[in-house]
Amino acid sequence: MDYKYIEQLLERYWECQTTLEEEAILRNFFRQEDVPASLLPYRQFFNEQDEMSEEHLGKDFADKMLRLVGEETPVHVCKARRLTFMRRLRPFYRAAGLIAILLTIGNAAHQSFSEDEDIADNQQMAESIAADSLQQITIGQPEQQSAELTKQPIDTINTLPR
Amino acid sequence: MENISFRTTVLPLSDKLFRLALRITMNKAEAEDVVQDTLLKVWEHREEWEQINNLEAFAIATCRNRALDVMKRAGRNTEKLDEMAHFSSQTPQEQLEANEQISLVNRLMDDLPEVQRTIMLLRDIEGKTYQEIAQTLDISETQVKVYLHRARTKIKERIWTINT
Repeated sequence: MDYKYIEQLLERYWECQTTLEEEAILRNFFRQEDVPASLLPYRQFFNEQDEMSEEHLGKDFADKMLRLVGEETPVHVCKARRLTFMRRLRPFYRAAGLIAILLTIGNAAHQSFSEDEDIADNQQMAESIAADSLQQITIGQPEQQSAELTKQPIDTINTLPR
Repeated sequence: MENISFRTTVLPLSDKLFRLALRITMNKAEAEDVVQDTLLKVWEHREEWEQINNLEAFAIATCRNRALDVMKRAGRNTEKLDEMAHFSSQTPQEQLEANEQISLVNRLMDDLPEVQRTIMLLRDIEGKTYQEIAQTLDISETQVKVYLHRARTKIKERIWTINT
């Protein structure tokens, strides 16, 4: 395997000519098991840089700091509430109430439509009763008069311009 | 900067500050105290957070100064740290064993001047750019490169010495 690139990178590293990305390539290279003998002396140095970057404070340090600055760690408390039987049924009451309102509105609408139809029926009925009454009246009069009376509208109709 | 808070912006810097303080004091308990003092100092300046251009750089600079103060007050030399000071009660054999366990990087960095050590840490461990390091330490980018070059040259020589 050709390690020329790594050797060049290493030389540039000592001369401070490498970028952060190239330095990361070097660290990655030295993490592997197969490192040639010529580069072996540097392996521990680069590997320990990795280890040093993982040094950290204890877990309770953050809590201690938050206490010192008066910012406690937020504790998410789930409050358990006891629900009464009536309270549990509350959604059903609401649904029932809504249904009752809808039914009332529906009935009211239906009733108003029916009333319109009744009025129309009543009007027709009144007209037919009136017509019957007129006929009765004409039946009760002398035949001529009656014929004139009955003929008049026909004539009128016939005289109408076409 | 938006939505700066102690919990989400300042506190996550703790580990980074701890590593820096540890490289300077070489003592975990002292480093933790330094980080605590640093974070409290940053908290005291909370009214100015919006005006501070780079809060992380401000925290790192504060931490470094605090760690150097601790070293100075304890009368310890920051230029050459004796990491084995806290092993003084151990026998020579125990000290030798403990010394072997100390990481190579720490041993290599041990003799470096503090500024070189800090720059190496910020570059190689924390992955900072030259510009960020310059801003944090309030020096020029050229100076950063010069210090880092000196540090890396010494480290390279020492690695050669150890392996030959």
